[in-house]
Amino acid sequence: MRQIAFYGKGGIGKSTTQQNTAAAMSGLGNRIMVVGCDPKADCTRLLLHGKRQQTVLDTLREVGPENVKLDTVCSKGFGGVICVESGGPEPGVGCGGRGVITSIQTLEALGAYSNGLDFVFYDVLGDVVCGGFAMPIREGYAREIYIVVSGEYMALYAANNICKGIAKFATRGYARLGGIICNSRKVENEAELVSEFAKRLNSRMIHFIPRDNIVQKAEINKKTVVDFDNTCPQAQEYKTLARKIVDNQDFAIPTPITQDELEELMKDFGIVD
Amino acid sequence: MLLKCDKTIPEREKHIVIKGKGGCTSARTCKISCNIPTTPGDMTERGCTYAGCRGVVGGPVKDVIHIVHGPIGCAYYSWGYRPHLADDDFHLTYVLVTDMDESNIIFGGEKKLYQAIVEASREFPDKKGVFVYNTCAPALIGDDGRDAAKMASEKIGKPVVFFPCEGFRGVSQSQGHHVGNEIIFKEIVGTKEPEEPVVYGINLVGEYNIKGDLKNIQPLFEEMGIEVITAFTGNASIENLKVMHRAKLNVVHCQRSATYIADMMKEKYGTPYINVTLWGIDNMSDALRDTARFFGLEREAEKIIAREKERVAPHIEYYKKRLSGKKVFIYQGAPRAWHWVKLLKEIGMETAIVATTFGHDDDYRKIFEKVRKGTLVVDNPNALEIAEILTEYTPDLFISGNKEKYLAYKMGVPFVNGHTYDSGPYAGFRGMVKFARDIDRAVHSPVWKLLRENAGNNGGIKI
Repeated sequence: MRQIAFYGKGGIGKSTTQQNTAAAMSGLGNRIMVVGCDPKADCTRLLLHGKRQQTVLDTLREVGPENVKLDTVCSKGFGGVICVESGGPEPGVGCGGRGVITSIQTLEALGAYSNGLDFVFYDVLGDVVCGGFAMPIREGYAREIYIVVSGEYMALYAANNICKGIAKFATRGYARLGGIICNSRKVENEAELVSEFAKRLNSRMIHFIPRDNIVQKAEINKKTVVDFDNTCPQAQEYKTLARKIVDNQDFAIPTPITQDELEELMKDFGIVD
Repeated sequence: MLLKCDKTIPEREKHIVIKGKGGCTSARTCKISCNIPTTPGDMTERGCTYAGCRGVVGGPVKDVIHIVHGPIGCAYYSWGYRPHLADDDFHLTYVLVTDMDESNIIFGGEKKLYQAIVEASREFPDKKGVFVYNTCAPALIGDDGRDAAKMASEKIGKPVVFFPCEGFRGVSQSQGHHVGNEIIFKEIVGTKEPEEPVVYGINLVGEYNIKGDLKNIQPLFEEMGIEVITAFTGNASIENLKVMHRAKLNVVHCQRSATYIADMMKEKYGTPYINVTLWGIDNMSDALRDTARFFGLEREAEKIIAREKERVAPHIEYYKKRLSGKKVFIYQGAPRAWHWVKLLKEIGMETAIVATTFGHDDDYRKIFEKVRKGTLVVDNPNALEIAEILTEYTPDLFISGNKEKYLAYKMGVPFVNGHTYDSGPYAGFRGMVKFARDIDRAVHSPVWKLLRENAGNNGGIKI
């Protein structure tokens, strides 16, 4: 079983990319579980065709830790992908980070990881704001991390910060950077910029996903692209990404760059004047 | 200096000083490291900010509901430790807690706190307000307990006072005293005016009525014609605290945990304050005398002092004969360590070692002023250091608190509980007799002789 975590700046298309990749990967014959680690609980919506998943933390709160059943918190989505949402508090109260920790520990105690899975995906919210959101990459959970970016400064800035976190944990754990996924925003020189950025981080751009309106169309229909139109070119892109991840042998301890270096990079590629 | 047990923590050297050595000749020249974070490796006995606020300053208030906002363990380990008595025992009997669990941490504890305040207030409708003590867990998740307290206060129509006394703040419980003073001052003091104008009114600030100390003190002030508006916070009602700003003078007893409020009252209301010690014959006499001088009641004071002194003199003489020349080790939170040097002399005893848990520079200045040359002064001692002192310095008596009691017994050293008193109360003239009696009992208990004979050891038993 390989465990994979997806990180990236909020709003970058992380959950969309993750679900599309999971859907495509299931088509390659893999058994997959997706664990949403965002209090908003929207990491499995497309796989579940819009069905609201009963979250782990809501269940814990309602029935108490002894009475949580795996069936209640796991739903089968498109392609047989098992979907779990951690859930968490409303904005502005409580501790979402602690929620992620509790949720993953609960899943482990319930034996969610022992069902002959090939892949577990963790979809983690925007920035690693506290220890809780680093949970999926510590203590031997996810060993492979993919960061979703676009060719925009703030996206790369967030990715660089996430790499700082990974580098910190790498020395005492197994988490490695598997690559940078560019979810295109159609900015100039985007592929070149992200490739260079990835190289500086001691990694590579594992795939460039072009921008295509079919993603939005599928989303309105509460579906992943593979589910919505399996033959379209964009579905092909996700399948390619899925295959690249399955075949990936290239795992690195990232080397985060300085803010100045990042700004220079943006200049060199003509994004900033 | 460095004790033998501290070889691996050389930082402790700065916390242990002998008066008369290394340039330490007077209160001005003696320097000791204190009120700084504990050195890693040093198993400190310090408490936390929550302990100081809940246990010392807020806890004695008798007619409010005390609610701890935090996990269940924070409740029990703050309950029943200090006998700050009052003429009602509600505050000692009950402690309520929001019992935050995993799910309250994740989803927030504000609603539970609000609910707890409202329910508690319904359960105890005669109580006049609620004190909420915030602990580490809700503070870390950013719970807005202050807002919950405010909303609950509107709902129940009584004051709900929120103390941000999270345990991790500060270096010791001392920070908690400060928080307690500030919040009571900001939120309670001055919220009501007294029914009648105050003429001869004082506050006894930093007097917590341990084992009923006030009954030895308050009547003497009253006899002089001085009204005690409130003791801050022994036997205090929240109603007393509300009007304490109208006192003409603050008489400050515990100068570590409560000078803060005296300073704040001086600044805002112009209330002057004097420092006093309410333990010991001479100290208590001075306290009455200094207070009386402020009001022009010197004659009344002298009459009372003469009468009380005469009454206790034969007892004091009796104990003095039995205790003269004995060597004492005092270890207290802070002020008692210096308060007691003089009164022990009244019964012929010499202070040889002084230590405090959370003293600041001003506490140590007072200690160095009062102790004689050769006295060992220790800041924030740990159990190993205490054991070494008891064995190597062989005091005839150890006055300390609950935490050290059994260590002293185990090592065969006579012990008196100065923190919560063996019998007590110890304050005032009559209290001094009780104090002396407890000391005499401890020092002359036949058990020590038996122990030493059996162990064949003259100076304490090594563990």
